Amino acid sequence: MTTTLDRREDAPRSAEEARLIELRRRDNRRKWFWRIAGYVVILGLWELVSTQIFDPRIVPGPSTIIAAFPEIIDGGRFLESYGATLTRIGVGFGLAFFFGVILGVGTQVPWIAGFFKDAITIGLVTPGLVWALTGLVIWGFQPQGWAFAIFMTTFALVTVNIAEGIRALPKDLLDMSRAFGVTSWRRQREIVLPFLAPFTFTALRFGFSIGWKVTVLTEVFSSNVGIGFEMRVASQLFRMDEFWAWALSFFVFALFLEKAILQRYERKFFRWREEVAL
Amino acid sequence: MATMVSSAPIQKSRLRRILASPTTARILFPFFVIALWYFIYYAIDSRIFPTPLRVLEFMWEEVTLTSGVRYSSVAENLYVQFAISIARLTLGFIVAMTVGTLVGLWMGVSKSVDAFFHDWVVAVLAMPALVWALFFSTAFGYGHMAPVLTVIFAGIPFVIINVREGVRNTPKELIDMAKAFEVPENRITRHVFLPSLMPFFFAAMRYAYSIGWKGLVIAEVFGSQVGMGWTIKFWYDAHRAHGVIGYAIFFILFALALEKLVFDPLARRAFKWRPSLDAYQLAEGDFSGVTQEGLLVQEDQIGTTMEVRGMESGPQDG
Repeated sequence: MTTTLDRREDAPRSAEEARLIELRRRDNRRKWFWRIAGYVVILGLWELVSTQIFDPRIVPGPSTIIAAFPEIIDGGRFLESYGATLTRIGVGFGLAFFFGVILGVGTQVPWIAGFFKDAITIGLVTPGLVWALTGLVIWGFQPQGWAFAIFMTTFALVTVNIAEGIRALPKDLLDMSRAFGVTSWRRQREIVLPFLAPFTFTALRFGFSIGWKVTVLTEVFSSNVGIGFEMRVASQLFRMDEFWAWALSFFVFALFLEKAILQRYERKFFRWREEVAL
Repeated sequence: MATMVSSAPIQKSRLRRILASPTTARILFPFFVIALWYFIYYAIDSRIFPTPLRVLEFMWEEVTLTSGVRYSSVAENLYVQFAISIARLTLGFIVAMTVGTLVGLWMGVSKSVDAFFHDWVVAVLAMPALVWALFFSTAFGYGHMAPVLTVIFAGIPFVIINVREGVRNTPKELIDMAKAFEVPENRITRHVFLPSLMPFFFAAMRYAYSIGWKGLVIAEVFGSQVGMGWTIKFWYDAHRAHGVIGYAIFFILFALALEKLVFDPLARRAFKWRPSLDAYQLAEGDFSGVTQEGLLVQEDQIGTTMEVRGMESGPQDG
């Protein structure tokens, strides 16, 4: 431990500090070692199960799936599928987000909160499949069908997140504004909405994480274009490698949007806050 | 409401108070839904879209077994279908809880194990249940295998993460103190470790069950010839909208009953020792259901914080 200490230019002030830094570094190294070991072991196991126990055509291993990626990209429907699915997420989840936020802000009024209480509970506990089939049997392949399914599955989640923020509203500020006779509209605009901003972001992120899943699910039943549709076709043709390639490509894409873009932007956006209320 | 005028001022204020109460609003909601339903019924002019009465009639026939419909599967009625689904769900749930708890405990105590599994748990957590359902039903064909495996894969990451967080959240100072006073190991486990793990464990259970249920019905659509998921698909294939909507309502009732009759009482028991929670529940006109005990650890928090927060969201799946 001490040998590395001597070589460092910005030598830490005390021996204790140096020891701690060294410990942390060793900890980090060990963590990375195990992390990589995890990747190697699990991917290896997967490959082994795929080739030895099952057949790669039924349970494709990582190598088979990677080999299928060029196929789906060159297949000609790649961009079209992404476009269709993203449009659906945009429309369906966009609507749910819009109304969810309005409804969430509305829960300040006890009457509105009471009115929609059961709707929200139902929205949270009902499987997306149920909405997908219900929308489909009512509207068929029309856009209302999938829009309905995506809307019903995600709006409650958005509302609950916003309502969470409403509960945490700074009561003192509201009381003060009332005491000084600030109009309700201004109170909403200048106290409530700024306070809700981080909650809105969380609602967006969580809503999206459910939104893309239910969109893909809806496409399995009620579409002839989109990621979900491609997944269904691939599984019906028993092309499991293509199935996984479609699933994983969109999975990675959605995770990237969710984590890398939304989460980072959220952090940047709220850096000015000392403690983000989340 | 303000437009409702009655002659006596006192009566008027009372009427207004009643109308303005949140409870009235809550009671009004179902009527609003039925009104909306009739509106859609007349607006879209579809030949298959049923009236609420038709759906109610269908549900009644299903419950009383008087419909005369014989499903094209071994299970002939609502109760058998339900029983099969619940049995599958419970089996998958037990496996997910057992394996998940073990892995979660292990990850909680050892940083190396945590680093080993961490990324994979996050990946499985974010994977839609649909992918598992389609994959397992294609790989293993019709039967119990695909639905049960889907329940396991959908539920297990929630269990692992919650249990791991629970282990990390044990009050270290209490354990240190107990050791200082030479309290025997098994009593520390019983009185400090387990109670502090309990809420996390409970949250894990609730999520595993509700996520498992959502995954199960999808798996039953693709990889099964019995069960609730299959039944709703049956009515869909038969183009009987009243069947689909009727079963959708059965689903909702089932999920609500599970929340209110099983998990809420269990929650109250598990949290009895925590005085703060009662205050929490009192303070909220809580949106109950899945968003109650503030214990879900969101996927994005893993590894970044050890904090457990009031949950903003239910299980992560459609």
